[in-house]
Amino acid sequence: MKEIIKLILKYHFTIIFILLEIVSFSLIIRHNEYQRAIFSESASILFGNISAIATDVKNYFRLKETNESLANENILLKNRLEQYELSRDTIVQGTFMQDSIPVYEYIGAKLVNATFNRTKNYLTLDRGLKNGIWKEMGVCSPDGIVGLVQDLSGQFAIVIPLINVDSRISAKIKKNSYYGSLQWDGVDYRYSYLNDIPYHVEVNEGDTIVTSGLSKIFPEGITVGYVESVDKETANFLKIKVRLAVDFKRLDYVYVILNNKKNEQTGLEAINYHE
Amino acid sequence: MNNINYLIHLLILSLLQIVIVDNIHLGSYFYLNIYILAIFLLPYKLKGVPLLLFGFLLGLLMDFADNTVGIHAAASTFVAYIRPRLLQLTSTREELEDAHGVQGLTDFRWFLKYSFMSTLLFNVVLIFAEAFTFRDILITMIRIILSTFISMLFMLLYYFIGIKRAQK
Repeated sequence: MKEIIKLILKYHFTIIFILLEIVSFSLIIRHNEYQRAIFSESASILFGNISAIATDVKNYFRLKETNESLANENILLKNRLEQYELSRDTIVQGTFMQDSIPVYEYIGAKLVNATFNRTKNYLTLDRGLKNGIWKEMGVCSPDGIVGLVQDLSGQFAIVIPLINVDSRISAKIKKNSYYGSLQWDGVDYRYSYLNDIPYHVEVNEGDTIVTSGLSKIFPEGITVGYVESVDKETANFLKIKVRLAVDFKRLDYVYVILNNKKNEQTGLEAINYHE
Repeated sequence: MNNINYLIHLLILSLLQIVIVDNIHLGSYFYLNIYILAIFLLPYKLKGVPLLLFGFLLGLLMDFADNTVGIHAAASTFVAYIRPRLLQLTSTREELEDAHGVQGLTDFRWFLKYSFMSTLLFNVVLIFAEAFTFRDILITMIRIILSTFISMLFMLLYYFIGIKRAQK
């Protein structure tokens, strides 16, 4: 016993070092598994506020560009509204449009913090539970899709973007509807890879990749990116390099996508699955 | 360097890291961290368990700021752990005797030697902890080397502007 105490006293520096490293690494592992639910709540309130101020200052210098992009989108939306009004007038009311709740709704949000140079990048938005955001909602920008909501506090939301190695998003080739899973390789924030496309499918450079709509998170047909190059070397599947439509370094304002019918669909699918 | 002086450096370095450096994005190969300079600047007389705890808490703070949970804590605890050994390795016995830090810091060659080795080891732990895999080891190595050089560059900048000039 005496010997053990002696030994501990002699090496207490190293022992405490090892203990602290064990704590650190258990934090890392837990953070991978439970996706930081415990820490993000308290930390995001404090540091979310600090980085919100920093971002406010930064945004001020980008007002002009942001205004232009907002104006452009307004025009686009107005045009769409016109078309919609037009078609509503022509269709006999009550026959096709009995359901007044739209399937997808959008909540605007501002980016307050973001990382790009990790293999596991995250974005922080200034909207949270209080604004009706839930886990696993889709996030998109005017250019294309951004990622999924992963974690929430009252006022902030953590988004796992396309440029995170843990992110998997179902996407398809627009022209022939073959779908696969989009996965980032952790190297360049501008490019991602579309996997699981059979090798006989014809894909050309410049083809548009859009969301498949199978995941219930994104509406069908939102732009994901454009084919940069196609690698046919792997056995049965193509490895398609995709140039992402969203420039993550210039992201300011995003939309969180709310699927009003997600619960209904998931519920039904769960019943059938268990039968 | 007295204690108050040191606390000011600690505060400035932490704020620089959280508010500015964390917002500088140079691509996935460059992971820029300057706050570990605060560990390098510690007075020599701080050693043992308080030194380890300081490294751990500083790393944890950066983890919260950076949304990473654990990787900075692991790396900066490691830097604190190897500090006494590296100090002995890089300097002669006499230099360590005058234990107030100022004299050692004015010796640029010693500072460069010590901080380069520390930064390299810091980045080894940090980037392996972040990647958490030995796959793509070449990319990880390149990231370690480039991150070490870019961090050193910024720390030397701080060293010349904030410390060397202030001592004159």
